[in-house]
Amino acid sequence: MTYLASLLPLAAIYGILVIGLNMQYGVTGILNFTYITFVAIGAYVTGVLTMGAPANAQTYILGAHLPFLLALVLGGLAAAALGTVVSFTVLRRLRSDYLAIVTIGAGQIVYTIIGNETGVFNGWNGIFGIPVPVPMSLSPVMQQLAFGLITILILAVVLFAAQRIQYSPLGRVLRAIRDDEGVTEAYGRDTFRMKLLAFLIGCFVAGIGGGLLGEYATAYAPSAFLPGETFILWAALLIGGVANNWGALLGAIIVPIGFAEVTRFLPDFGNPTLIESLRGVAIGLLIILAPAFLPHGLVRERLAKDRARSRATAPTEEETSNA
Amino acid sequence: MSILMLSIGFGLVTASVLAIAGVGLSLQFGVTNFVNFAYGDYATLGAYVALVANEHGVNMYASMLIAGVVVAVFAALVNRLVFRYFIDKRVKLVILLVVTIGVSLVIEYSLQSIFGAQFQSYTVTSPTPMQIGPFLLTSGQLAIIGIAVLCMAGVHLLLSRTRVGKAMRAMSDNPALAEASGIDTRRITDLTWLVVGFLAGIAGVVLAMNTSTFTPLLGTFFLMLLFAVVILGGIGKPYGAMLGALVIGLVTEVSGAYINAAYQDAIAFLIMIVLLMLRPQGLFSSRGRA
Amino acid sequence: MPEALLRLDRVSRNFGGLQAVTDCSFDVFEGRITGLIGPNGAGKTTVTNLIAGEMRPSGGRILLHGRDITGWSAHAVARAGIARTFQLARELGGLTVMENLLLAPYPQKGESLWLAILQPPAVRAQEEELKDRARTLLERLQLAHLRNEPAQNLSGGQKKLLEIARAMMTRPRLLLMDEPTAGVNPALIDQLVTYIRVLRDELGVSLLIIEHNLDVVEALCEDVIVMAAGSVLARGTMAQLRQNPAVVDAYLGGGGSEYAAL
Repeated sequence: MTYLASLLPLAAIYGILVIGLNMQYGVTGILNFTYITFVAIGAYVTGVLTMGAPANAQTYILGAHLPFLLALVLGGLAAAALGTVVSFTVLRRLRSDYLAIVTIGAGQIVYTIIGNETGVFNGWNGIFGIPVPVPMSLSPVMQQLAFGLITILILAVVLFAAQRIQYSPLGRVLRAIRDDEGVTEAYGRDTFRMKLLAFLIGCFVAGIGGGLLGEYATAYAPSAFLPGETFILWAALLIGGVANNWGALLGAIIVPIGFAEVTRFLPDFGNPTLIESLRGVAIGLLIILAPAFLPHGLVRERLAKDRARSRATAPTEEETSNA
Repeated sequence: MSILMLSIGFGLVTASVLAIAGVGLSLQFGVTNFVNFAYGDYATLGAYVALVANEHGVNMYASMLIAGVVVAVFAALVNRLVFRYFIDKRVKLVILLVVTIGVSLVIEYSLQSIFGAQFQSYTVTSPTPMQIGPFLLTSGQLAIIGIAVLCMAGVHLLLSRTRVGKAMRAMSDNPALAEASGIDTRRITDLTWLVVGFLAGIAGVVLAMNTSTFTPLLGTFFLMLLFAVVILGGIGKPYGAMLGALVIGLVTEVSGAYINAAYQDAIAFLIMIVLLMLRPQGLFSSRGRA
Repeated sequence: MPEALLRLDRVSRNFGGLQAVTDCSFDVFEGRITGLIGPNGAGKTTVTNLIAGEMRPSGGRILLHGRDITGWSAHAVARAGIARTFQLARELGGLTVMENLLLAPYPQKGESLWLAILQPPAVRAQEEELKDRARTLLERLQLAHLRNEPAQNLSGGQKKLLEIARAMMTRPRLLLMDEPTAGVNPALIDQLVTYIRVLRDELGVSLLIIEHNLDVVEALCEDVIVMAAGSVLARGTMAQLRQNPAVVDAYLGGGGSEYAAL
């Protein structure tokens, strides 16, 4: 029971993260190979904002003891702010490989700065002792459940907003940009601004998820946002289903959770890092095999169908069939 | 012995390491038209192959050659078994890039599961630095520079004197025209991977020698520097990559000597990002935006 | 002489050393279907791209109803009332046919972030109105049965019809059409010609059409501009142009068999 209770918030958090990535890539077609950096900013900023003044030999900025929800939103905004800075590299019409290189490079720079400038987020050791946002009077199990409840509520809000956006005129334009940016521009849309919007929404969601992740782990360090971490989320999206938020949730459960938890049940053998290494190999294989066998992921994009009967023509058999 | 001269000396060594791998990456990108994000890990593979050989008493230079050959074959196999499948299926470039990342992860973590994550090094005697002109270098470092020069010469001969090399250049410049002129693009691609893999293997060993200790993550950080080199020189322009290696090697070492050394790589990344935005075709290339 | 809807004033465009368009000047008048013909490489597509804002002219000006739109971006030009169709049909493959049409009109309230999330009555009402218009159009073009189909599944001819349908949804002041009948089978060409006339007669759209099929040009265009080597060679009705030795010369020199009719 405690085991499931501890898994629930993590599943919800990863769900939030993959939904954010979906907004950028699945819906709008933006390549962001350094998504994890925005998760990190959210984790750090929310973390230090909820902590008090630096203690325990840590050094960091912004120790402000703010209430949790406020800190969370600010963490999301901080991630979006970084997104604004990075955006003018990400959103140009460069070919995919150049974009990939640029985003990874930008992420590396942020990683190096955070690691070296110990005064900002305590350098390579990272921050720890992030306060849990639930009453300490509850038993540990109840605390887990309470936190799980919080994450699920936030997931519900994020999922609702993401669905609404995707199935709105805005979502239609974003998908059009994904399919053909030039044509979308020819229909009067300022595609740069709209891509920026989608990108920043994704960064904000990444920051929210990151903030929750930091609270869950009560600590966060640069080792948590090595470039490879982004690809666990990519694997989740590619397998779960691109351009489908439910698919994103499925992918989040299968990949990060599934992997972490499946290996938990394997006995320890070989050298200590063997399990972790095999997990890495498995993720790599998954990333190679998923596009081969599941080009659209497990859950395909659901297109909005027009059901209304027109006045002039009688209904045809197509109206009752589904794609 | 000024700091400037010392760091220029080190810069030359770094440039040599970058050049060997950079030329390979540039050539591969030019011929196959996609970035292989596992390239750094090909180098790491080479480093570990040489480690195994070295531990069995094979001398360093022979180990290097063995590493080169093993990685060459490996690269060609990965292309045949993995990349070709997706290329023939005409998937979107993004998907292919993600697949190369998958290959990268598989290599890294396979190495880690076999060898563990701890630092390794080759059993070589610690040589003393010698004074060569204004520089202070060890014999190992001089050897690295020498090996780089050899590799550059080899690549130059390949590209300018052999039919295969000329076909590679043709495919790099204008794939459609190359195909139309009757070049067997699949065969040339296979051969390109062999050459590129060989260079990666050698580069990995040389890199490991230069950093003295290494882990399975050796290649991943190295790869980002390689991107800077290749982009600076212009995609698909191996000669440009040689110059790019020189620039990046010198810039990182010299700037690292004067400002916080931890940021020396970050500077290379910054240069690369700025360059990609202002002049994606590289400093030395005349080809337009790819 | 009525004021021109669109005026090109000594527009030029070069690419490196290649002079694609040189000192090109012409007017397009409101309410007309104007043809733009010429041999390959004459600069017709480049001129279209310049008008549509895909690229800046190297020199000269472009005026829309007297307003200088030179160098405006593609989306700004579109908002000013100029739309275009493409030679190779560029359907939005991942969207349904219906969604392709719904994309066309600008602006839409539901495209701002908060209104997209909240979807208040005003947004829903606009959606319904646009859907009604789209349904009617699709029926007219006999595409209604495909409305929920992803656009990438359409046949080549159907994609061309989709391009026209999208243009009809937009109701621009000026529609640039780049070889609308290229690669289209003859049965469909008649349909396309009819719909192009509908655009002008019922929807008040003025058209500038690049075409190689001179029968279509003759049937549709009251006014034809001939381009060669980057600038305007002649102008008039097809009948007049046939008498023009320079025009005959330019085509017989560089054209293919489709110009044998001249």
